[in-house]
Amino acid sequence: MMELVGSILILAGAAFHFSAGLGMLRMPDAYTRMQAGTKATTLGNTLLLAGLAFYHPGWSPKLLIIAYFVLMTNPVSSHALARAAYSIGIPMFGGSGIDALRDRDRKLRSET
Amino acid sequence: MISNIVLTTGLLLILIGLWGVLTHRNILRVIIGFSLFGTGTHIVIVAIGYVTNGTAPILDRTLPMSEAISRVVDPIPSALVVTAIVIGMAVTAVMLAYTIRLYDSKKTLSIDALMESKW
Amino acid sequence: MIRSLFTILAIVLLGAVFATIAIGYSEQQSLRPLAESYVQLVPRDLGAANVVTGILLPYRAFDTLGEVAVLFMVAASVGLILGAGHRRPEERGEDVQEAARPSSEIVQTGSQILAPLISIFAAYIIMNGHLSAGGGFQGGAVIASCVLLILLTYPEHQINVAFLSIAESLAGALFVLTGIIGLIAAGGFLDNHILPLGQFGAFFSAGAIPILSVLLGVKVGCELSVILDRFRPQP
Repeated sequence: MMELVGSILILAGAAFHFSAGLGMLRMPDAYTRMQAGTKATTLGNTLLLAGLAFYHPGWSPKLLIIAYFVLMTNPVSSHALARAAYSIGIPMFGGSGIDALRDRDRKLRSET
Repeated sequence: MISNIVLTTGLLLILIGLWGVLTHRNILRVIIGFSLFGTGTHIVIVAIGYVTNGTAPILDRTLPMSEAISRVVDPIPSALVVTAIVIGMAVTAVMLAYTIRLYDSKKTLSIDALMESKW
Repeated sequence: MIRSLFTILAIVLLGAVFATIAIGYSEQQSLRPLAESYVQLVPRDLGAANVVTGILLPYRAFDTLGEVAVLFMVAASVGLILGAGHRRPEERGEDVQEAARPSSEIVQTGSQILAPLISIFAAYIIMNGHLSAGGGFQGGAVIASCVLLILLTYPEHQINVAFLSIAESLAGALFVLTGIIGLIAAGGFLDNHILPLGQFGAFFSAGAIPILSVLLGVKVGCELSVILDRFRPQP
């Protein structure tokens, strides 16, 4: 019974990883690709570790620490990459026309 | 069965890395191809040392000394690959240092600008 | 056109050779004689629980020394190629104040949480070389990744490169000195019988292997950090 729940969770994690890979291939520009790569893989990792915790209940504290570490590093590194890409001027897709960082910088510069 | 799958994956990675080195025009993609080539070689070396139904060569409570011989994977390829990984990373650092100097002098990252010795 | 034809020909022929290897490969059923003798010798003779570290440090110690020499050569060549004072931003015609944009608050907070965690993890990996999976090289690489995190987060902060170079040279010299002591006092170069073997599986056991792991870890970590520091744009 526990193994069935664990297997379903691991399968769901693998499905999210596959959707991350698919998103990185099909998305139009660099920023949307980074978003697809980060969000889906972080969730896929967490689901995989949860499924493994159902298989081996004695490993739960170690798996919890690993999940905490993944949750700390993955979004921070993707944020740093996206900021660096914006500051060297990689063009956006432009389909929505919204650029929140440029509006915020313009507002900051007009205030000072 | 397991080591056949891992061996095939390693050999496929070597082929993909070699294709990347031979085809691309951008230097950074060639360097990524070299790194893939190295990773594929490490995987092939580790896959060769697998013994059927073996486990890691670390002796603790669950693997006492007396039955260690019959249940343990070959430790020698793992010892070779441990040092090979660190050296591969250091060689990539030298390649990237060369890339920085080439970009400073030629202002481009394409290898078509480096054809001075071609006849 | 000719070039792409040759490329495809090379890949196809190499793929045929690899396919022959992959199809004709059958798994080993039992250990080869050399591996069997290593697995038997390491727990009894050296007192180490991790067979891979037991092979790397006393039995194949010359390989380890040669790899330390290769790493030193790589650090010297990176220092030579990216030598001082030729990458000034004004000469490249770029805007100078774009070169050092400070990192955002998320990255600074994240690195304040992560840097102690990574350092403790690196020390744990180095010290557990003889008991469980780990060793000097792996721990040294994790130390260098912690230094890289600090370099990326605070780009104006200057690392004390002189201290790192002195620490690295000292660790390398002590490593060779321990090997020579092994030559005088015990079986051979970098033998680990110079310290008592201790109880199997305890923290301070397996002779001189923990000391050699710590020296290797410090040397590799400082070396990789100096290499990483060279890649920054010189102000």
